[in-house]
Amino acid sequence: MNAFSLSGTRSRATRVRGPRRVRGAMFVVPYLPLLLLFGLIPMGYALKLAFTDDKGNWVGFHNFTKTFNDYRFMPAFKHILVYTTVWLAGLMIFVVGLTLVLHSRASRVSSTYRFLFYMPGALAGASSVLLWLFMLDPAVSPGEFLLRHLLGADLFVKSIAPAHLPYIFAMIAFWTGAGGWIVVMYGALNTIPTELEEAARIDGAGPITIALRLKLPLIRKWIAYMLILSFATGTQLFVEPQLVNEASLGMVPDTWSSNQLAYQVAFRFGDFNAAAAISVDLLVIGLAGAILVVTRSGLFRRDE
Amino acid sequence: MNQRRLLPAVALVALALAGCSSSGGDSNPKSSGPPAGSAPAGTSSSSSGDGGAPSGNLTVWVDAARLPAAKAYQKVHPNVHLNIVTFDGDGNGASTLQTKIQLWNRTGNGWPDVIFSEQVQDPVWMARKPFNFAAPIKGLVPDNLLSKWPAPSTAQCTVDGVQVCVQDNLAQVVLWVNKKLMDQFHYTVPKTWQEWAALGQKAASEHPGYIVGTMGESFSHWIYLWGDQCPVQQADGNKVTINSGDSHCTRMASLVDPLIKNQSVPPLSVFTPDFAKKYGGKDDKILVMPGPAWYGLGVFHDTLHMPNGQITAAPPLQWESETPVTTGQVGGGPWIVSRHSKNMKAAGDFVTWETTVFKAKGGYPAYGPLADTWLVDLAKNPFFAADPGPALKAAASQIWQGWSLVTYPDQPVWSNTVVTKLVAGQSLSSLLKPFGDALAQAAQAQGYQVSRN
Repeated sequence: MNAFSLSGTRSRATRVRGPRRVRGAMFVVPYLPLLLLFGLIPMGYALKLAFTDDKGNWVGFHNFTKTFNDYRFMPAFKHILVYTTVWLAGLMIFVVGLTLVLHSRASRVSSTYRFLFYMPGALAGASSVLLWLFMLDPAVSPGEFLLRHLLGADLFVKSIAPAHLPYIFAMIAFWTGAGGWIVVMYGALNTIPTELEEAARIDGAGPITIALRLKLPLIRKWIAYMLILSFATGTQLFVEPQLVNEASLGMVPDTWSSNQLAYQVAFRFGDFNAAAAISVDLLVIGLAGAILVVTRSGLFRRDE
Repeated sequence: MNQRRLLPAVALVALALAGCSSSGGDSNPKSSGPPAGSAPAGTSSSSSGDGGAPSGNLTVWVDAARLPAAKAYQKVHPNVHLNIVTFDGDGNGASTLQTKIQLWNRTGNGWPDVIFSEQVQDPVWMARKPFNFAAPIKGLVPDNLLSKWPAPSTAQCTVDGVQVCVQDNLAQVVLWVNKKLMDQFHYTVPKTWQEWAALGQKAASEHPGYIVGTMGESFSHWIYLWGDQCPVQQADGNKVTINSGDSHCTRMASLVDPLIKNQSVPPLSVFTPDFAKKYGGKDDKILVMPGPAWYGLGVFHDTLHMPNGQITAAPPLQWESETPVTTGQVGGGPWIVSRHSKNMKAAGDFVTWETTVFKAKGGYPAYGPLADTWLVDLAKNPFFAADPGPALKAAASQIWQGWSLVTYPDQPVWSNTVVTKLVAGQSLSSLLKPFGDALAQAAQAQGYQVSRN
């Protein structure tokens, strides 16, 4: 979905520069079949399903109002809202902060740290959730004292109490994703010419001023890029709650996130049209988020 | 990046899933041939009735616990080419089967011939729209055998007047008793719920840490509320009555609440590592525990690894002096034949063999004559301190019939509206209303007309 919005805007940028249009298209063509097959066609199909019933008749917004009035709809979206907010805030502050600190250190030390930061990211998706299930179980967790004192949990079922879940999922997502982003941000910082930094230093700027007034504005686009990608992944959370649902023997509802709700509606209740409506909701939210960040950050503006 | 989030969630806690009447391998030699007892005719190579041995391809879906049973069929029926698929048919309300059948229906092929499900209510939705999966069982299993299932069992498999499954095992709730500990503490085995509650109070003050039951299962309501005739699931066609404020529900809740509070009935599942650590193993701390028939070997032996010579069963608890005594049910998985099967003959023969000939270790066979020989074996099992057979046999006919099977799973509702709150310290009495409300929502979402009073 993001790929779509990115390439859409990019091609518009190409059009502006006229003669290079054909050459630009050459680079896009190999990607087009994939985009069509796995991006646009399913999206179009979902849109069609969302506005029709199971016999293919046009029903307008019926599927949307029906799912909106479903008793699981609001809780699921609320969970996702809290989760995404917590996670994105954490991601922004810590990734940017850590990268800036890392970049101002001597390079030998920082390459070690960079590797250390990246490490948890090597364990992605389902396997990281499995690991976290152990981390959250006070009986086996190495962080048992933290669970006991921060969450007040001496049992696994208390660790995964409903109120903790958005924060727990945000933590899991942070640890698996942050390292990769730190590496990306570090790469971004490396593109800043050293002369700029030196000039600033000669002008009397300390490391903090350099980080906040010079480096931070220059990597703004990368931060925006991180936000767009993470926003969509965040709102489409699925694996983590699904696995915790099974691990907790059903104590966490199987419709905790909106994506799970779409899945359940489609496959337990056999209502593909309503499920498509929820997917379209998610698509709209993802697109709106992306557009907001793009316009606010000037991500694709080239004239600076 | 988004795709990785949509990876189909893999089942993970296999230890819990093995729950419902696990027949995991050990001690008891399994009969790979026809058993000695009153086994029916028409086993190994001759299928009953319409002549000729079953042959051809047969795809069966079973849970991990039923895998040895399916393999055993293959051994004695070399002419049938059996394709066994195992899946997480777990009893916590998993939707694997719904999702799969929806997909097969959509693509118009791929249906297996036979499915075993751990969820006793599955045939209800399988027989109805939009799934339309279950085939009528009459004619597939010979009539003379079909009549030997207990009536309540047949009733559970009958959807809209047509029998669409046969039950594999009965899952009647009895009172499991740790004879060794009870003797050691000089306690007497309770006969009524009131005596049981008194035992819980006594244990909490005299031997803190010892327990008389648990309230943390996704199916605890089937043990405590079903057994006490709490009317939260009374379906009649498309209508369902949910009355969680009935005195049969509230009196049980007020009886149990003090025990949850004094921790003699913790809100913890027997399938969690926490439970095994605190109450299981060599120095187990379970005095008594109301639980289904398959707890005997499935939980106390396979999951909690308790030593031989401790456990036995007592009859289900009675409410004061009320008669008749009724009890709950946890599981009792059904076998279902697909109406799309191209090999009905082999499918019928397979189901007949699995339910009337093959003797699994863990579960109390639903088919009457097989249950009798199974009980004989059980009596000889050194794991039990005394023969649990008589209590199990008596309880088999006492399952309360007022708890209907419905198309929506009630276990997740119980887990996330009640158990999570019990863990957080709320009382069961205060949670009965939210439980009823949540059940009503789940029922309405499935298209039921709900009446509450």
